[in-house]
Amino acid sequence: MKKENTVTRRPAQQMYLLRLLVRRNIKNQYYRSFIGILWTVLNPLLNMAVMAFVFINLFGNEGIALDYPVYVLSGNIIFGIMRASTTGSLPCLVEQQDMLQKTNVSIGLFPTANAFSALVTFGFSFIALLIVMLFRWFAGAYTFTWEIVLTVVLLPAIMLFSLGLSYFLSALYVFFRDLKHIYSVILTLWTYLTPLFYTIDALKNQTLEKFMKLNPMYHYVEYFRDLLIGTVPSLEMHIVCYGFGIAMFVIGYVFLSAVRNQIAARL
Amino acid sequence: MENNANLSAPAERDVLLEVRNVTMKFTKYEVGVDSLKELVVRALKGDLKREKFICLENINFSVRRGEAVALIGRNGVGKSTLLKIVSGILKPTEGYANTYGRISPLLQLGAGFDGNATGMENIYLNAAILGYTKKEIDEKLPAILDFAELGDFIHSPVKTYSSGMLARLGFSIAISMESEIMLIDEILAVGDMAFQQKCYKKLEELRAKGLTFLIVSHSDVVEKLCDRAIWIEQGHMIADGDAKTIFEQYTEAMMHPAQSG
Repeated sequence: MKKENTVTRRPAQQMYLLRLLVRRNIKNQYYRSFIGILWTVLNPLLNMAVMAFVFINLFGNEGIALDYPVYVLSGNIIFGIMRASTTGSLPCLVEQQDMLQKTNVSIGLFPTANAFSALVTFGFSFIALLIVMLFRWFAGAYTFTWEIVLTVVLLPAIMLFSLGLSYFLSALYVFFRDLKHIYSVILTLWTYLTPLFYTIDALKNQTLEKFMKLNPMYHYVEYFRDLLIGTVPSLEMHIVCYGFGIAMFVIGYVFLSAVRNQIAARL
Repeated sequence: MENNANLSAPAERDVLLEVRNVTMKFTKYEVGVDSLKELVVRALKGDLKREKFICLENINFSVRRGEAVALIGRNGVGKSTLLKIVSGILKPTEGYANTYGRISPLLQLGAGFDGNATGMENIYLNAAILGYTKKEIDEKLPAILDFAELGDFIHSPVKTYSSGMLARLGFSIAISMESEIMLIDEILAVGDMAFQQKCYKKLEELRAKGLTFLIVSHSDVVEKLCDRAIWIEQGHMIADGDAKTIFEQYTEAMMHPAQSG
């Protein structure tokens, strides 16, 4: 009876499920708190305020081409995509195990949903960034540039990277349940090793600078800031960003597919 | 056991579930390694022996439309693994399991629910994970709400539900969705008496309609519901036939383990 749409049925159904999962994640994050979805905008703003206050007074902001509050916030919200995606994905398969034990659903959908809810959160944080920019603009500390619209070119690259890493981690967590503690330490280290509130020049260290080039998040953050300053990133920068993204995505996806049966046995 | 011969006869048109020569082997560490720390420590000590163990061996059976089959056996003999293979989650090492029709699993109490989401949201989420589209869920919604009898609580977060309410919601979703095969894994012991009665009644109603059941249990409750039982011991199928007879044998063996061993 329903034969005619069996080909399109599955992808459509999976999209529907993905949408539900993303909505669920977003709601669980903030929705049910007192001021609701406003938190998604307020949270990065408050964070930025603290960071800006602390670091301007500690280090001074010489050598940064961008206005400092904008500098801090932009770095944090780009890094936040990866952070939110991976921390959400890490336990997501294990949390769903009652369901996954008995239902033949594509397990990849769960980490994917986390990556996309991180993207939605980024959207809200972006509003916060615009607000800060507007304030700084009134204060004469920042000028808007058209290049900001090129953010849409950056997002697929960082999404690929986040998706890949989320696939990888969610699968690995099924086997190693202590990964949660290890990963939170790694993430803290990663946060500090990415120039989110300092500049790489301020380090005055050649080795560290070279080392930084291996950090994918460094490139995504720099790309984003280039846009905000008003430069169009070089072709090389595009290749690096997409290179890291595609490589991570392939690694994560292949790993998740390869251990799918072991995951089913373990859950 | 002679039933085996009958069952491996050419597949009939109304066979809904076919399990052929299924063997499942696992490679696992002799000592359970489920943390990175454990792995590293063991690796350094040179204490990482891998062991192949056979969880299921050469399982053969098929289930026809409208049959209600109980899988019985002690804990850890591979029943749950077999269910995973049947539902297509786990690929067996050898052999295959084919299902011709939709499977809907009846989960343990409240399993798979998101505590922060409302009952209504959970209905959609749960059914979507089970593989249903929005349209199909919309169609079934009145039936689900009707059976669950949750009233206005359906709009409250599930974490505020009592265990009975959770059971009602879970059961309602599972039985209301259109499916051909129902997998039940030890569920009927929950909920209050009235609701249990209602569940049994509903299950019998569904059976009469031609729904197929595969029930994992070691309680004799299923005796009422099932007409056939498959007894699994140490990964082998040791009996397949009339539920009543096999339950008697099984109970006997459990009471006097020495004789059966």
